[in-house]
Amino acid sequence: MVQYNFKNITVVPNGKDFIDIILSRTQRQTPTVVHKGYAISRLRQFYMRKVKYTQTNYYDKLSTIIDEFPRLDDIHPFYGDLLHVLYNKDHYKLALGQINTARNLISKIAKDYVRLLKYGDSLYRCKCLKVAALGRMCTVIKRVAPSLAYLEQIRQHMARLPSIDPNTRTILICGYPNVGKSSFINKITRADVDVQPYAFTTKSLFVGHTDYKYLRYQVIDTPGILDRPFEDRNIIEMCSITALAHLRAAVLFFLDISGSCGYTIAQQAALFHSIKSLFMNKPLTIVCNKTDLQPLEGISEEDMKLVMEMKAEAMKTVIGQGGEPTDDQGVLLTMSTLTEDGVIAVKNAACERLLDQRVEIKMKSKKINDCLNRFHVAIPKPRDQKERPPCIPQAVLEAKAKQAAEKEKRKTEKDLENENGGAGVYSASLKKNYILANDEWKEDVLPEILDGHNVYDFIDPDILQRLEELEQEEGLRQAEEVDDDFEMDGKELTPEEQQALAEIRKKKSLLIQQHRIKKSTAESRPIVPRKFDKDKQFTTRRMGRQLSALGLDPSKAIDRARSRSRGRKRERSPDNDGGDAMDMDVDTPNKRLRMRSRSRSRSVSRPPGELVPGEGFKDSAQKVKAQKLAKKSSKKRNKDARRGEADRVIPTLKPKHLFSGKRSSGKTDRR
Amino acid sequence: MPQGDYIDLHRKRYGYRLDHFERKRKKEAREVHKRSQIAQKALGIKGKMFAKKRYAEKAQMKKTLAMHEESSTRRKVDDDVSKGAVPAYLLDRENTTRAKVLSNTIKQKRKEKAGKWEVPLPKVRPVAEDEMFKVLRTGKRKTKQWKRMITKATFVGPAFTRKPPKYERFIRPSGLRFTKAHVTHPELKCTFNLEIIGVKKNPNGQMYTSLGVMTRGTIIEVNVSELGLVTPAGKVVWGKYAQVTNNPENDGCINAVLLV
Repeated sequence: MVQYNFKNITVVPNGKDFIDIILSRTQRQTPTVVHKGYAISRLRQFYMRKVKYTQTNYYDKLSTIIDEFPRLDDIHPFYGDLLHVLYNKDHYKLALGQINTARNLISKIAKDYVRLLKYGDSLYRCKCLKVAALGRMCTVIKRVAPSLAYLEQIRQHMARLPSIDPNTRTILICGYPNVGKSSFINKITRADVDVQPYAFTTKSLFVGHTDYKYLRYQVIDTPGILDRPFEDRNIIEMCSITALAHLRAAVLFFLDISGSCGYTIAQQAALFHSIKSLFMNKPLTIVCNKTDLQPLEGISEEDMKLVMEMKAEAMKTVIGQGGEPTDDQGVLLTMSTLTEDGVIAVKNAACERLLDQRVEIKMKSKKINDCLNRFHVAIPKPRDQKERPPCIPQAVLEAKAKQAAEKEKRKTEKDLENENGGAGVYSASLKKNYILANDEWKEDVLPEILDGHNVYDFIDPDILQRLEELEQEEGLRQAEEVDDDFEMDGKELTPEEQQALAEIRKKKSLLIQQHRIKKSTAESRPIVPRKFDKDKQFTTRRMGRQLSALGLDPSKAIDRARSRSRGRKRERSPDNDGGDAMDMDVDTPNKRLRMRSRSRSRSVSRPPGELVPGEGFKDSAQKVKAQKLAKKSSKKRNKDARRGEADRVIPTLKPKHLFSGKRSSGKTDRR
Repeated sequence: MPQGDYIDLHRKRYGYRLDHFERKRKKEAREVHKRSQIAQKALGIKGKMFAKKRYAEKAQMKKTLAMHEESSTRRKVDDDVSKGAVPAYLLDRENTTRAKVLSNTIKQKRKEKAGKWEVPLPKVRPVAEDEMFKVLRTGKRKTKQWKRMITKATFVGPAFTRKPPKYERFIRPSGLRFTKAHVTHPELKCTFNLEIIGVKKNPNGQMYTSLGVMTRGTIIEVNVSELGLVTPAGKVVWGKYAQVTNNPENDGCINAVLLV
């Protein structure tokens, strides 16, 4: 949904201000210090930046103007035509077009001069080029200054346009000048339109809002229209024509039957017929105003005929919308804005008809099916003739009634005051709403100081509660203690279990005693050297006894302890004489030794080619080959005694030559 | 009065507040003091701009005042010396006249001949070679220095193709090539953006003419067919000479005066 709000278009500065803004911005936002001695590329870059920056700013500013002003072809035709009527479409488009051209020209200039700056060979030349570039950009803006001024005027005027929503529920009031249109809108809305007793008091569209059946209606007051050819109409009249042509609204055609506006009924009827093509497909109501001066029944025969003719025309709009041909209520209405006679009736009739029409159109549209299938109002079918009113218990009803009565009766302090002699005489008691244990205490006097003590120091409002808490806690603790005793009492154990328990306890206490003794002496060390173990307390035998007493097999522990306590003995492996190894030759004395060593079964290391899962070789042949290759590759290096990756390296963290002596420039990492 | 104009509406209904005009007068009277405050406080570029604006206003005001005073003041009438008046001691002499009267046509011819070289800018600053050219070092070791790049605006014809780089002594960078000039017609007092046809003469030397370098004072030939000039014989003139009046390489455009 497009919201038409022309209020937040950015201000368009006039030509001179525009140039000042941009140039001072360039001055402020780009560097300003430059010297002849700088490298030429730096000079070029300095001035290029200025040119480019100016161009960007111009571009941004002009773009906002072009973007923010509405395009007449894109907005709602009502606004399109209204803006055309007020500001002349051609002029408007021309102005925006000029702005657009200026923007392109500036971009082109910047491009050209940046290119030329690339060939700048001195500060003077670069500066000249920059000056020329900025000057030409500003000249372009100076040329479009009239367009800028025009756009600024339009902007100010557009911001003041009433915010009309072309798509909402709208009531449109039209008619000859001075027939009471503005008085009517003042009556039904808060628009506060100026009302004067001369023609063309209202010179533009005015908007007010009114409510009907909890819905908001937009009421538009239009300037009066004269009956003359379309081309002769002035801007003020064209505003109304635009609104009539483009807004899908309920139209109220105002008719001054008294003729006090200066136009006869015949003239007004002629206007009606000349613009009736604008009323097509809109709920049209003819409103006869100023009945206080001249009631509708009192007008002459011919005039009555004219009014009836108009009514017949208006009826066509009813029929066109599928209404009943005989349903003529709300087509011709009378009222008097002076006496407020029938004003509300006119408003209601118009709103009602507009609503009907809008609902009808909605129902016809395709989109309604998407919504309609979601609506469902369930109405249960009556089973029988029996009445089934809601059932409310008697007690609830009574309580409700009582509550209501109480609510009404509740006396306020103000009531009390009035009853008891009014203000000044009655003094309200502050104590009567105290919440105390006993109502009699309310009026008691509480001393501030008693026996030389401040009473307030001794007041503890929740002392009783805290006492209670404390007591509760104590009770809990006592109960726990009782529970603990009960646990170990063992009243429900069998005699054997009791015995075992007694044993365990005895042992426990024994252990504790021993432990305490141990802790008090140096014997608490875990391993006791022999010299301290004078009384041979710590023997393997004893350990075995203890362990077996615990029900464990002590043999292994004893073995281990023995093996640890003795140093490794030189031993001879058991002889295996008489084996088949004796068959081998026995010529050297060494042989014997060898025999002996061989006789012992030796753990065999893995043969070099053996395949180990996880190494990634296919077979042992491959592994052998790989090993050979590895050896070969390292052979030369090893021969040359080169450093390899496996060698240990101690890096020189602080090489002496880099950290000693003076260093001048460029001597930090190589000396 | 549109709907949003609440100030106007209020004034229409209730009028101005009682001291409105008094306040307005005072505010206006105070305005000069305010401005002087600003003038004293403004610094930097803002101060300069303000001072310039104020100076212009003051000068304008003085002129206006003087103009008004002129009508009321009395001035001494400075009487011009009438033409042909001679001092007393020369009164007895007679003016000699040329014996032979040159015919009108010869006079005109002379004038034409003299006028042929009379251009709007008769003298220009000579441009040194090292200002005109930038030496480019070439070769693998950048030791050769025979190449030159022209640093001024140039004109090359539409069908120009560069020589192969090996033989190209003078480089005319494409960024500095111009094809159009802003040419002012001195009698019509208006300026046209015309196409350049060629460089006729560069005052700095024949070489620059042939290279098509355009500096200040260069005579160029421009296409004036747009102007619709006609020769006495009735033919349409399409090429005419013009003299460059600015430094194109500094201004980024070529301004010229048509030689008529």
